[in-house]
Amino acid sequence: MTEPTPGPPGQQTAAVRPPVTEQTGARLHPLTPFVKGWGYFVVAAFALVNNEGLRSNLTIAGIGLAAVLVGGILLGALSWWFTKWQLTDDAIRVDSGFLFRRTRIIRFDRIQAIDVAQPFVARLFGMAELRMDVAGGGKSDGKLSYFTYEEAGRLRTTLLVRAKGQQVVEQQTDQVEMKPLLVVPTGRLLGATLLSSTVLASAGGLVWLIAAATVLNFHIGLFAGLPLLLGVVQPIWKQVVGNHGFTLSESDHGLRTKRGLFDVQRQTVPPGRVQGLLITEPLIWRLLGWSRVELDIAGVAGNKDEGENDHEGAQLLPVGERVEVAGVLARVLPGFDLSRIEMHRAPERAKWLRPIGWRYLAYGADDQVLVTVRGWVSRRTSIVLHHKTQSVRLQQGPLQRRLGLANVHVDTPLGPTDAVALHRNQSEAAALLQDQAVRAREARRTVASPFAVQTQPKPPSPDGSSSSAASPADDSSDR
Amino acid sequence: MDDLFAPSDVSWTPVSPKLAAVRRLTAGISAGLVGIVLLIVLGMTVGWLYGVLALVVAAAGFVWAWVLIGRNQRSWKYAEREDELLVSHGIMFRELVVVPYGRMQFVDVAAGPLERAYGIATVELHTATPATDAKIPGLHPDEAGRLRDRLSALGQAQAWGL
Repeated sequence: MTEPTPGPPGQQTAAVRPPVTEQTGARLHPLTPFVKGWGYFVVAAFALVNNEGLRSNLTIAGIGLAAVLVGGILLGALSWWFTKWQLTDDAIRVDSGFLFRRTRIIRFDRIQAIDVAQPFVARLFGMAELRMDVAGGGKSDGKLSYFTYEEAGRLRTTLLVRAKGQQVVEQQTDQVEMKPLLVVPTGRLLGATLLSSTVLASAGGLVWLIAAATVLNFHIGLFAGLPLLLGVVQPIWKQVVGNHGFTLSESDHGLRTKRGLFDVQRQTVPPGRVQGLLITEPLIWRLLGWSRVELDIAGVAGNKDEGENDHEGAQLLPVGERVEVAGVLARVLPGFDLSRIEMHRAPERAKWLRPIGWRYLAYGADDQVLVTVRGWVSRRTSIVLHHKTQSVRLQQGPLQRRLGLANVHVDTPLGPTDAVALHRNQSEAAALLQDQAVRAREARRTVASPFAVQTQPKPPSPDGSSSSAASPADDSSDR
Repeated sequence: MDDLFAPSDVSWTPVSPKLAAVRRLTAGISAGLVGIVLLIVLGMTVGWLYGVLALVVAAAGFVWAWVLIGRNQRSWKYAEREDELLVSHGIMFRELVVVPYGRMQFVDVAAGPLERAYGIATVELHTATPATDAKIPGLHPDEAGRLRDRLSALGQAQAWGL
């Protein structure tokens, strides 16, 4: 790792190595220790007011409590004092810790996505934290808290401009040009959650349990009700509170999402970092024309170490109507129209392996993407970009060989998308494998020269020359 | 039929038969251990007849494994195309993997003690997704080294970001 060179004027880097303790850079918001440790303060204050023992023996308890408070404040202040961040030429550097020093350097070109998040207490104080998603890193690896909200927004813009590799002074385009593309109404969010398979199944189980308990006097079974109740309440809470007021908007730096009732989460999807898309349509949603769109972005999805964030981070549309889905797809993949792609159904003999679901197995491809559809109860449409393909696999099991069928997997980096053309005619599958390899090769070559993209006979993207049109070419910043 | 998993436009390289030898040895050791443990346990508790029967079953399993390992070893092959590495393997569950060199994140060369004794090594190509299963066992160490160098050189030359 080379020593970072001085970044913006006014910030000097420690050019000499030896005094490691010497750091430059900016501190975070002074209220940070309070916001981070607010629970501690609340408990302490609560104890001070409510404790009978404290009231009777004021001196000793008061001193003890004061010592604890002062110690806590001191620790927080120390940690705040020793945490400094700075921007260097090609990275953001964070120094922290006063006993165990730590320096983390995150290179701009490794930042996959940047969110501004506002946990509840932070929002009360108008503060926000910056979350940088780094490929291969956990969610907490790129957290920087807290800033004032405006500062976080500014810093995000700066970082995004650098992550995109344009060191241009575009910073003045702040959040003013944010035009919401769509807002998901809360009613639809609630309805969609109530009609989702997990909630329905859990609710059904719960109703059966209650009926069994009342009619058959089968009270033991009520213990099973707790997880079932959780299965009903938890998704509703997560969806309705977590995705409350889901807003998708477009900025110069990519698509941005904003959601949440208490913890407002903002996320930016840099164009060209999209690896694949997944459209999920549970059984009942299909009747209503609803579907969910998720994205594979390197670094965002697949954070298995923090289970709750695992797929949420890559959500593009929690529930949307067909028109909205088509619009969103066109934003992410310029010139792409799902309905224009010719889908090939699986042969009928696949029914020996998928008695009902074989009707829904299909795939289709054009010069930009491969689309696969499968699933009977919950239909999953995976869209993968040819120039993001990591590898292609042809698979065949013993039963499939007897039927002359084979699977073709197209692998993208970790994420919700799993594109697999299941149970194809085996010669067709072998041809598809070769075609995919060729298409991936062609796409990589085409995208390698940035101007070739524009010359392709594709309809111009609906939003003109802004972010999404630059999407495939943008890749070159990430070599 | 067979050319589905081994397209003929490239020249396929088989892996060393020593792979089968190593695997047979491993299978033999485990079958032998299981057989002897079963022989003693069953012999002490139920009766020596059952113990001997278990030993025979373990031996039969080993013979079956011997045959399967041989077939499996012969199914492993790989080919280097201009832009992609192709790996094909499997008899019952067959698989053909196509990995563009530019997608490579890193290459592993591994050899356990038994493999080292027989003079073979495993080369594994890693991409950004764990789903990619591009592993070539049973290579001569020189060939493994050559493949590693070639793959990393090609991966560098054609590197393509996420």
